[in-house]
Amino acid sequence: MNLTINDRTVSVDDALADPSMPLLWVLRDVLQMTGTKYGCGVAACGACTVQVDGEPVRSCVTPLSALQGKRVRTIEGLAGPGGPHPLQQAWVEQQVPQCGYCQSGMLMAAAALLEANREPSDGDIDAAITNLCRCGSYPRVRSAIKAAARQLAPRRRPSKP
Amino acid sequence: MKRRSLLLTGAAAGGALLVGWGALPPRSRLGQAGLWSSQTGEVALNGWIKVAGDGTVVLAMNRSEMGQGVHTALAMLVAEELDVPLERVRLQQAGHDAIFGSAESFVGFLPFHGDDREPGQETAFFRGARWVTLKLARELGINITGGSASVADAWEPLRLAAATARARLLGVASLRWKLPVAELEVQDGAVSHASGPRAHYGELAAQAALSPPGDVTLKSRANFRVIGKPAQRVDLAAKCDGRAVFGLDVRLPGLLYASVVHAPMLGGSIGTVDVGAALQRPGVERVVRLPPLGGADAALAVVGRTTWHAREAARALPVQWREPPSGPLDSKRIEAALETAARAAQLRDGGFTFHSRGDSRVALAGAAKRVDALYRAPYLAHATMEPMNCTARVRDGRVEVWAPTQVPGLARDAAAQVAGVAPEAVTLHVTYLGGGFGRRLEVDVVAQAVRVALETAGRPVQLNWSREEDFTHDFYRPAGVALLRAGIGADGRVSAFEAHSAGDALEPRWMQRALPALAGPFDAPDKTTVEGLYDLPYAIEPQRIAHVATHSGVPIGNWRSVGHSHNAFFAESFIDELAHAAGVDALRFRLDLLRQRPRHAAVLNLAAQRAGWGQKLPAGRARGLALHESFGSIVAQVLEVSLAGKQPRVHRVVCALDCGIVVHPQGVQQQVESSVIFGLSAALYGRIDIEGGAVKQKNFPDYPLLTLAQTPIIETHALPSDAAPTGMGEPALPPVAPALANALFALTGHRLRELPLMPLLASLRA
Repeated sequence: MNLTINDRTVSVDDALADPSMPLLWVLRDVLQMTGTKYGCGVAACGACTVQVDGEPVRSCVTPLSALQGKRVRTIEGLAGPGGPHPLQQAWVEQQVPQCGYCQSGMLMAAAALLEANREPSDGDIDAAITNLCRCGSYPRVRSAIKAAARQLAPRRRPSKP
Repeated sequence: MKRRSLLLTGAAAGGALLVGWGALPPRSRLGQAGLWSSQTGEVALNGWIKVAGDGTVVLAMNRSEMGQGVHTALAMLVAEELDVPLERVRLQQAGHDAIFGSAESFVGFLPFHGDDREPGQETAFFRGARWVTLKLARELGINITGGSASVADAWEPLRLAAATARARLLGVASLRWKLPVAELEVQDGAVSHASGPRAHYGELAAQAALSPPGDVTLKSRANFRVIGKPAQRVDLAAKCDGRAVFGLDVRLPGLLYASVVHAPMLGGSIGTVDVGAALQRPGVERVVRLPPLGGADAALAVVGRTTWHAREAARALPVQWREPPSGPLDSKRIEAALETAARAAQLRDGGFTFHSRGDSRVALAGAAKRVDALYRAPYLAHATMEPMNCTARVRDGRVEVWAPTQVPGLARDAAAQVAGVAPEAVTLHVTYLGGGFGRRLEVDVVAQAVRVALETAGRPVQLNWSREEDFTHDFYRPAGVALLRAGIGADGRVSAFEAHSAGDALEPRWMQRALPALAGPFDAPDKTTVEGLYDLPYAIEPQRIAHVATHSGVPIGNWRSVGHSHNAFFAESFIDELAHAAGVDALRFRLDLLRQRPRHAAVLNLAAQRAGWGQKLPAGRARGLALHESFGSIVAQVLEVSLAGKQPRVHRVVCALDCGIVVHPQGVQQQVESSVIFGLSAALYGRIDIEGGAVKQKNFPDYPLLTLAQTPIIETHALPSDAAPTGMGEPALPPVAPALANALFALTGHRLRELPLMPLLASLRA
């Protein structure tokens, strides 16, 4: 089976992966793309969050069969050709990660939020970031999303007098 | 046996061991250059420091990075004394030499009262015991990342190692250019002289390795350019693009994956199992029976070509499990037994007395007013985001292990024992840890991984636990019960205080699992059972604090802040009760009892001032405060809380602290945020129940954690200090629960004496 991951067509060994296999394990154990993490296996913690056609998806409960013809984006593909994603820059500037294990999922959820909503309110961030973090990076996740949003916002023209 | 005689026994035993090797001069703690496995072009200047050809400094990193920022803080110490930018310090995992061992954590185990160890006023007895303990610990060389001790442990030897290396490099430049050292300048790892000559460390290192260091002086605080200044964590970029390698991210040619299933019942074992059915499944290679190892129960490991194949087969494995011979455990029954034990101790002056002064019984009888309370805390799981795992390969008599571990040396020993080889035949790679919190002080998964790797014909195996195994086979924070009582005199002052608590001793259990060589035939009194309760900073006379150590059979271990995690809740909630009973403001009541502890009073005052203690709040909001010292650091917190129906909302947490010199300010800030959020999860929701022998909470939906949406504003204020640094990985956690409960009391008039708080709060009538 072929998958589109980070804008590249990737062939998955059918001998290793059947259609019911969750994307998480295809990424991690078949394709050796270990940036996406296992945390709970029941879509509760969000450590495995990737994007499918731009939507944040918990890859631990997304079977391979659901991905035919879809575009998958993982943490390995978050940076663009021009360098790190504005969220990754903000993440470094605000020193968001501690242990770092949940951060791939956090970043992918945050990137999906910003693609849908360039100026998220606190309430929008609360609703979109349901990922769990045991180290308590939440306050910095919030401030880094806001910082990246500011950077991404189109420069407003100075208002006319 | 009283505390003092116990200490003396320990000191005498220690003294006997000391004979023959004498005092180690500080310089021997720098180690030999020969400890390094050196790469081409690198020159080792001592056991800690190497210099690469391009002048990059390589630091032997002995501590594990589990989020607490230790890689950054220790690199900062070296960057400071070597005058190099932090980015020029590269980390290489340290070996197993004794210089890399822990010392301060062991001092932390000593049951000294704050009156004995307040910095600057230490008693001779404490100084002596500390000296012996440090000597012993350094001889043992057990490398533990824990006890909030890494920066405290590194403070002297690492700066000395860096300063000594710098002195040698300068000495070489001075000889080469025939210019006095005093006239040389060092900037960004390059030595220069105003008259023109200039060389970076890489050009001086080879000769420096052969020359003596000369005089070495450490910088004073006024000259710090790195310590206490803003710095970027060294692990950020790799943790933002998926490159960081945690234990589960190790990928090796031919790697197999082994998924573990334990008996559902704690202490259970394997009866019959139909292995054939599992082997029929696609992608399954074999099934390995695991005996109890490293404290883990007996288990089955299914080896497959991917984690998914192994896990699906493990889940479907037809097994008949056996009950433990002692019958199924039940946490309700255990908690009832703890209460009975505490009541018996209170009635008959029972338990081991960790602290007493004066006759509390007589004083209580004569008090104008009495306050009696029973406090409870449940079992808790660690729930690190990265579930338990370890990767191992056994080939040609050698063992290679990749482990996210807080105890690399003990992990190596466990691997060697299982494989039947000498520790030197084991190479242990420490990966990043996806959280530790004390869970990774255990060696259970290391032993299991090596056991499986013995059966895969030289192929490497990544052993992994599902989240369900992780929750149901943890080494839990022990449950505890404390009966507290105090008298209040006619003058409104506390006239007596007594605590009788009960709960399992945990350090003897941990020693048996991870450090069997040092585990004694009987349990020594475990200071962690009462830490934060027997050593209150308050001037209360008389008092008696005793504990009944139980042995419930539940696997228990070190959970972030250990005994402080529940004892602070008991102590600081009860102090609040006393303030209320005395009719005195909670801040003023505490300050009045802290007249002999100016550091504690200063921290408390700072928190109160920044939080606006005593100032009016919007309707429906209240503040609660708590003060607690742990791991040498003093923390005070003021929480601002409201209730929406029965749902509490914490709006703001103001945290003041004294941890000596702050090495990495953002690191301390991050650890405060981390501890507050970890503490709120536990205070509101955290509980593990054992029913019919099995743990009920199996995954995050059963064990809620605080979410981003619930996270308050958290402010950190450190008191300036010239004292050597103490840890901050844990001390901001203990005050959270009592400060929250005290705020909820102010809001509702109900004193919540049982953790977690949510069930009691929900049971209150509106």
